[in-house]
This record gives sequence, C-alpha cells and structure tokens, in this order.
Amino acid sequence: MIWLIKFAMCAMMPRTEKLPGIGDTDLDGFLRRLRRDSDFLYWLGLALGAWLFAVTPLFTVWVPLPAFFLPKKLLDRHTERVLSSRIYLIRQAVFLVRLSAGMCWGADPTVRAKFAMSPYGTDPGTFRS
Amino acid sequence: MSHVAFQPRGREVALEADYVVVGSGAGGAPAAVTLARAGAKVAIVEAGPWRDPADYPSSVYGAMRDMIDAWGSNFTRGRAYWPIIQGSLVGGTTVINSAIAVRTPADIFEKWERAHGVGGASMAEAVWRIQDDLERELCVEEAPTPARGNSNLLAKKAADALGFENHYLLRYIKGCVGSGQCLQGCREDRKQSLNRNYVPEVLERGGDVLSCAPVERVLFEGNRAVGVRGRFRNPQTREGGADFVVRAKKGVLVAASVTRSAPLLMASGVQSRALGKHFRAHPGTPVFGVYDDPIDMNTGATQGWASVAYRDEPGFKLETLSLPLDMVAGRLSGSGQLLMDRLMEFRHLAIWVQACRAETVGEVRRTITGRPAVHYTLGREDMLRFREGMYQIARMHVAAGARAVLPGIFGMPYRLEPDQIDQLREAPLDPRAYVAILSHLFGGCVMGADPSRSVCDGRGRVHGYEGLVVVDASVIPTNLGVNPQHTIMALARLFAEQLVERPAARAAA
Ligand SMILES: Cc1cc2nc3c(=O)[nH]c(=O)nc-3n(C[C@H](O)[C@H](O)[C@H](O)COP(=O)(O)OP(=O)(O)OC[C@H]3O[C@@H](n4cnc5c(N)ncnc54)[C@H](O)[C@@H]3O)c2cc1C
Ligand code: SF4
Repeated sequence: MIWLIKFAMCAMMPRTEKLPGIGDTDLDGFLRRLRRDSDFLYWLGLALGAWLFAVTPLFTVWVPLPAFFLPKKLLDRHTERVLSSRIYLIRQAVFLVRLSAGMCWGADPTVRAKFAMSPYGTDPGTFRS
Repeated sequence: MSHVAFQPRGREVALEADYVVVGSGAGGAPAAVTLARAGAKVAIVEAGPWRDPADYPSSVYGAMRDMIDAWGSNFTRGRAYWPIIQGSLVGGTTVINSAIAVRTPADIFEKWERAHGVGGASMAEAVWRIQDDLERELCVEEAPTPARGNSNLLAKKAADALGFENHYLLRYIKGCVGSGQCLQGCREDRKQSLNRNYVPEVLERGGDVLSCAPVERVLFEGNRAVGVRGRFRNPQTREGGADFVVRAKKGVLVAASVTRSAPLLMASGVQSRALGKHFRAHPGTPVFGVYDDPIDMNTGATQGWASVAYRDEPGFKLETLSLPLDMVAGRLSGSGQLLMDRLMEFRHLAIWVQACRAETVGEVRRTITGRPAVHYTLGREDMLRFREGMYQIARMHVAAGARAVLPGIFGMPYRLEPDQIDQLREAPLDPRAYVAILSHLFGGCVMGADPSRSVCDGRGRVHGYEGLVVVDASVIPTNLGVNPQHTIMALARLFAEQLVERPAARAAA
C-alpha cells in the first residue's frame, strides 16, 4: 500500500525545472512515519485515495490501464482530472493524498530554501512524563 | 502537588479530590483554577499529553501527530465532509489556536435569555467582569507593530480603503515576535495558552493533573456524580495503559469539548433528550490573494487583523490567517506540473478567511467505536452568507492591490482577475464545492431553562443530576459571531465561582 501511496504522491508533485519534486525529499521515511503515527481513519482514507488514484484512468483519460502504466503526459492529465472529479467521494479521498504529500514536500529543507525560508526545527514528539 | 502522565498497564491509579475537571482547554483550565483559588482540591483529567514549548513541533505533520485530535480526521457527516479541528493535549485547543480574545457581544446574552431562558443582563455583567480579569491575567494585547507582518498590514489597508470597521486583533499573547507559528504551538512561549499558566497554577495550589488520561465514564451514585473512570493512553503508541479512577467529593465538571462532552455523558448513561443536539459552528474558508511583491505571510502574527463589520448582516467575520507552506502545498488546487507552477507563487500569497455565523443546527452523536460523529450540512441561507463572505474577502484583496484572487471553489476558475471577482457571487451553493474547516464549535450540552430542550441550567448544572456541571463550549446554545474562547473561559469561570460561593454570599447576591 505504501508503494501505491508513494506513486500517487510522486505523480501529484513531480520535479520541475524550478522546484524539487516530492520524490527528491525523504518520502520513504515520511510514509513510514505516517503509517506508524497516523490515526487509523486517516490512514484508511489515504489508502483509499491512493487506490482510487490508481484505478480510475478509465474514467479520466479513457485508458483502461492502472495509473502506473500511463505515460508521463497522460499521467499528468489523469492526476489533474481525478482531483477535480465530479464525484465528491473520489475528489475528497484523492485530496487527502495531496494534502499529505504537501506536508512532506513543504517541510523539506531544500524546498523551504527555494522560498527563502529557514529549515524547520525538529518535531521532538516529547511530553512531560 | 502531582502530575501523573501515562502509566503502563498494572495497578489501577486511584485519586480523590473535591472536584474533578475533565479536559483542560478553554473551559476546563479556567474552571479548575477558579476552584483551586477558592481552596478546593482539584484534579484535572486530560486525554492528551502535557507538552511545553520545547516539545512543540515545527511542521504541520508534527502538529497533526502531537496536538490535533484524531489527526484532524473528525469531519462533518452530511453533504460535505469538512474537517473539525481541535487540540488534544494539556491546554486543549488554546495551545494551537491564534489566541484571539473577543468580548462576548451584548446581543448574545439577550438572545440566550429570549430563546433559552438563561443569560440576560446579570450573566452579561458577570461574564464581562471575568473577562476583565482574564484580559489582565492572560496579557491581552495587539501584536506589536514590528510583529504584524505584511498580510495583516495589507488587510488593514484594504478594509480602510473600502471604509468598513476593522482592527488589529487583541490576543492572549505577551510580546508576540511574529513567527507565524501559532497553529503549531508558540515555541517562543509568547502565547498564553492555558498549559502555561492556569494548569500549572492548579498544581501549585495542591491539585493533581492526570495527562494521557481519556475519561471513559462519569461515575454516579444514584443521580449524583461522584468521579470518573478511564484508562491511560500512550500518546506515541496509542496503546492503553493502567486504569484510573478519580473520586470527586463535591462534583465533576465536564469540559471535553463540543465533540467529546456530549458523547462522554451519553457513554455515562446521562439521560437528556437534548444531549448532542443544537450543534452549531462558524465554518471558515480562505480566499488567497496573489500580489506582485512577496508577502511572506509566515512572517508576522498568524492572525493579527479582523473585521466584525458584517457580523450582524449578512453574518460573517473576516480575518487574516497565515498558513505554512506544508499546508498550502496540499491546499492549492491543481496537480502535477500545474500545481508545482502554482506553488512558485507561494511567497506572493496572502490568505484571508471568512468565518460564517451559521444558523444551521447539527447534532453530535456517539458511534459504536466511541468516536464522535457530527451530523451537519450547511443550509441554503448559510451558504449564501458563506459565499458572500468569500466575495468580501476577494474585494479586499483587490482593494489591496492583488493581481489575482484564488477562490478554491470547485467548478470555478482557479484564478480570478480583479475585474472577474463578481463571478464569486454566482458561485455554487453546494457545500461540496468548498473546502471549509470547523474550528469554532458550539452546543451538544446546551444550557437553558427548559430541561426538555437543554442539558444544563444557566449555571452549567446538568438537569436532573447533582454534582455534574458542564463548563466548555458545548453549553453555548447559539453561535456567537465572534471568536469563542473568551466567552468559553468566562462562562467556565462563572460556573466554577457559583459552585464554590458561600450560601451567605449567594443569598446576598
Ligand atoms: C486552529 C484553531 C484556531 C482557533 N483560534 C481561536 C482564536 O484565536 N480565538 C478564539 O476565541 N477561538 C479560537 N479557536 C476556537 C477555540 O480554541 C475553541 O473554541 C476552544 O478552545 C474550545 O474550548 P473547549 O474547552 O470547549 O475545548 P478544548 O479547548 O478543545 O478543550 C477540550 C479538552 O478536553 C480534552 N478531552 C476530550 N475528551 C476527553 C476525555 N474523554 N477525557 C479527558 N479529556 C478529554 C481534549 O483533549 C482537550 O484538551 C480556534 C480553534 C482552532 C481549532
Ligand atoms: S505569531 Fe509566533 S510569536 Fe506570535 S504568538 Fe504566534 S507563535 Fe508566538
């Protein structure tokens, strides 16, 4: 499932000439942490979103293939269309994948540097015991 | 004095106090400190962990993990799924909020009296007296000029140009340095969230604090509340720990929030036809403006400006809000190459929001898993208000010189040029077209004179029970049209004062 989520996230936030993509960040580490830390419902929604992303090209770009077999251009079109699907449930589930991708990408020090922002400090996760 | 955090499975932890307070947010902490100052022994029992500024996260991910209830995965059940955001840690939502303090408007007390038989002039007077104290104790002030940041300054300029009431916000913050991180907790320790003052004061006054300790039931002897029971939960692994019981000699005060208090009373067998009913909210949504010069909204007070010009008619509040890159990246519409191109504008974005004074009434229910379920769909009249609020924000952006406005509405263009913003007045009225959040919540255990329509009386005491008082936002029977925490804190303190006042003082009053 992590593989599927990773694929969807990379399609949504690819590297461009000006910005690093999510694949250039520590996405594997992020997803491992997310799997471990997140609430069950959150993870379920994310998994559903990634699955829907993978199986819906037939309805977005009229190609009867899972998203991971699409060529780059078509994949980009699918990504755009699935996020603006008329079906609310699909739109919301896939939106959760994008929201989570944004959390990983936007916290990356290289990405932040591109926007003249200093790196984030740590997320210590500590508490009074 | 003692603080007991997560305890692994093993011997039951048992404590006794005069009063037990469930939850330590805007309602619970002020109630607890009031009781402690009156000499009572108080035990605060809080579901979340106790985090200090050195423990606060930097990133949005960290905030979701360490501070936000259920990862923000509570959402409205209805036509649209809108996230309901609340804090779950010592200090409650005050740790992650923007600390805005707005006095309860006079019309609210009149409305409560007219529609619910509580409130009125005497409550207004008492609440405002307490708000004087809160403002002093929690250092209410405007953000100092150097900490205002471009977004707040621009909003002021725009509203002044358009000629409507607007102001820099008063917040419970001492010496804000404008790090724009309020929503992840103030690592600079400027924000006066209640984990930094009232909760430690309860400890200093000989009280107890149990953290990582979600209460599962209120205990009763007959119809008298005599304590609470639950099981510790590890905030890192979410594993259950030891059982705990806290006995209350005089009373149990429930302040677990709008989404949690009613379900807790339901789980405890409290009988009331109004339990969970009369849920209301101020659904909010942002409109982004794109400017020629960098705004760098993450520099400056997170929320430093507001207007209540439209509070009465049509019914919304306008505010600034800075969102971090790791939130905006997920929030801007678009995907793939297109999204990345749009993100290039991040430094040039200013985000201002409207919070709709919605009249729609929903319901809080308890699901079999124990999670709350909030049933809520914004009605047409409210959607008209909501949409108009977005239009007014767009107008402000244009007045401030934005080169474009990004409404973020499904079915509308991504970008509106300044001469196109009137299209917003024709935007769809289907809630599913919008990405809103609910952060100002009311009801579920509302106060009122009629026990068939309310859960508590005008002192927060649950009808038909002894020693059981609700002291959080769930007692509020209407929307407020302004930020709620100042009202919640004052009501909680008032109800606590009334519990400990001497009979002679009561008779004299
Ligand atoms: C992002 C954000 C920004 C905001 N900004 C502002 C602002 O600037 N100004 C303003 O006026 N309002 C603001 N608000 C709203 C305001 O913070 C809340 O209305 C207010 O904190 C609600 O108070 P409460 O006591 O009802 O609940 P909370 O403050 O949420 O406290 C409830 C506490 O009870 C605990 N709890 C829940 N269940 C249990 C249980 N079973 N056992 C033990 N403990 C339990 C929770 O963990 C939590 O700590 C904001 C809200 C959000 C989400
Ligand atoms: S803006 Fe920064 S310094 Fe000011 S209160 Fe918020 S987090 Fe603290």
